[in-house]
Amino acid sequence: MIAVSILLVLLAVLGAPLFAIIAASAMLGYHQEGIDLMAIAIEILGLAEMPFLAAIPLFTFAGYLLSESGAPQRLVRLTGAVIGWVPGGLALVALAACAFFTAFTGASGITIIALGAILYPALQHDGYPDDFNLGLVTSSGSLGLLFAPSLPLILYGVIAKVPIDSLFRAGVLPGLLMLVMLSGWSLWVNRANRRPARDFSFREIRAAVRESAWELPLPIVVLGGIYSGFFAVSEAAAVTALYVLIVEVGILRDVKVRELPRIMRESMLLVGAILIILGVSLASTNYMIDARVPQQLLGLVSEMVTSQTSFLVLLLVFLLILGALLDIFSAIVLVVPLILPIAAQYGVNEIHLGIVFLAAMQLGYLTPPVGLNLFIASYRFDKPILDVCRATLPFLVILLLSVIAITFWPQLSLLLAG
Amino acid sequence: MIEAGYRLLKPLERWGTALENALLVLLLGAMILLATTQIVLRIGFDQGLIWADELLKILVLWVALIGSVATSRGRRHLRIDILSHYVPERFARVPVLIVDAFAALVCGLIAWHSARYVLLTIEFGDTVLVDVPAWAVQGVLPVAFALMAYRFALYCLKELLELLRRAPVETAP
Repeated sequence: MIAVSILLVLLAVLGAPLFAIIAASAMLGYHQEGIDLMAIAIEILGLAEMPFLAAIPLFTFAGYLLSESGAPQRLVRLTGAVIGWVPGGLALVALAACAFFTAFTGASGITIIALGAILYPALQHDGYPDDFNLGLVTSSGSLGLLFAPSLPLILYGVIAKVPIDSLFRAGVLPGLLMLVMLSGWSLWVNRANRRPARDFSFREIRAAVRESAWELPLPIVVLGGIYSGFFAVSEAAAVTALYVLIVEVGILRDVKVRELPRIMRESMLLVGAILIILGVSLASTNYMIDARVPQQLLGLVSEMVTSQTSFLVLLLVFLLILGALLDIFSAIVLVVPLILPIAAQYGVNEIHLGIVFLAAMQLGYLTPPVGLNLFIASYRFDKPILDVCRATLPFLVILLLSVIAITFWPQLSLLLAG
Repeated sequence: MIEAGYRLLKPLERWGTALENALLVLLLGAMILLATTQIVLRIGFDQGLIWADELLKILVLWVALIGSVATSRGRRHLRIDILSHYVPERFARVPVLIVDAFAALVCGLIAWHSARYVLLTIEFGDTVLVDVPAWAVQGVLPVAFALMAYRFALYCLKELLELLRRAPVETAP
């Protein structure tokens, strides 16, 4: 059995699709316990039993459609008009716009492609150092993960069976902390270049608002609807998808009807990749729970740590390593069911746990060997991967400090969660 | 001989992609319509279609599986992508060959056992959505995994042939 497990790990490292690895391990487990392998079919069909799951394809589609439209340009213009007059403002514009866009497009690297392409040359033009620009754009690609309605938040809510609107509220302050720390650092690094991106102008604000008039109601309706409890998260996702479709294709005509099938397909590739892992891991998780794996893990952990603080230290180290190896979606689906009962033993709130989990995983986008943002930025801006790593390092350190703060300061997550 | 094989598969691939796309567009469109109709009914008329929630969940299942089949076409499933960026080009084909064979095997196994399961539900006369036979909904499971198994096997075969021919590795974009 150990030999087979090692073989599976080896196959995973060689680049086998994760869903195949997970399915294989579940089927091996069944085989050993003498359970009919038909059980895997029943588990995968469990995908049709999970509440709110429709939110994932609907939000993903809306996000892809937005990124293909003129919305990124309009967002950058609007953010620039509102905060661009601050000295060093363009860096702040970049951070804020990226965070907002990532929240709405599900943290899949789209931000770097859609917004980075606008912001990177603009930053260069305003005389910011090249390393800073590259690092900023690369790390901003996953900033905003903690803001509603990001896909990882929804997925965590579905898996951990935590109310998703509480999670949406819980992410606000930790997400802002990350944003503020990165902004502060950006201002400090560029203290020699205090050039505002543009002069303050009511006329420009008015023009930018008018240009974005069709998209502005979107966050208000979606977030207001979810936070007030008027919409369930899957309803909000449906409204978003329909609204974006009508606005971008019907009214603004940024996207042509004949481009729609391609965009729909593109977005469903990501959805298929995430949900198939969710499906097979329903099988492996149930098997592991039957085999009392969480209890064994707890026994192991309780030999090492006794207090909540030392548990959180251990958790954080574990999550940072996990994030360096696994993408955020697979990590949520695979690991959350196993650590939830352990965290509960140490009195860690499940909402706080979720925020810590996602915040730590966000760093994984920026760490070698598998950091997605590093590769997307390297490809998009045609820079060697090592240059991107070096440029991103200071941002990674700032983010790490913010993750540490988020981990050991539960009130930050729980204050708004209610 | 190999060339003839490729020629035979070309139209199959084209029709397959078209069918995938059509299904994904239909499923996603149906999801958007169904979910928003349900909201209008709830807010405007304080009622709803009883079967709508179940149908929406079934659509999610279908999107997940068909989407996954589409994902396998570009080998774009989530994976721990440590090696591909670092392995020297000369050896790049070997791991791909191994993992595709493995994925084909696993998908084939799931297809086989889920087909057995679906046959069983036909025997028991299971239904969903009030009176729709369950196999009509669940049948997507063996079909999707069989298609993925086929796709992975094809990739594996292709890598093997190119390895034997010592063709240069196409660099990923």
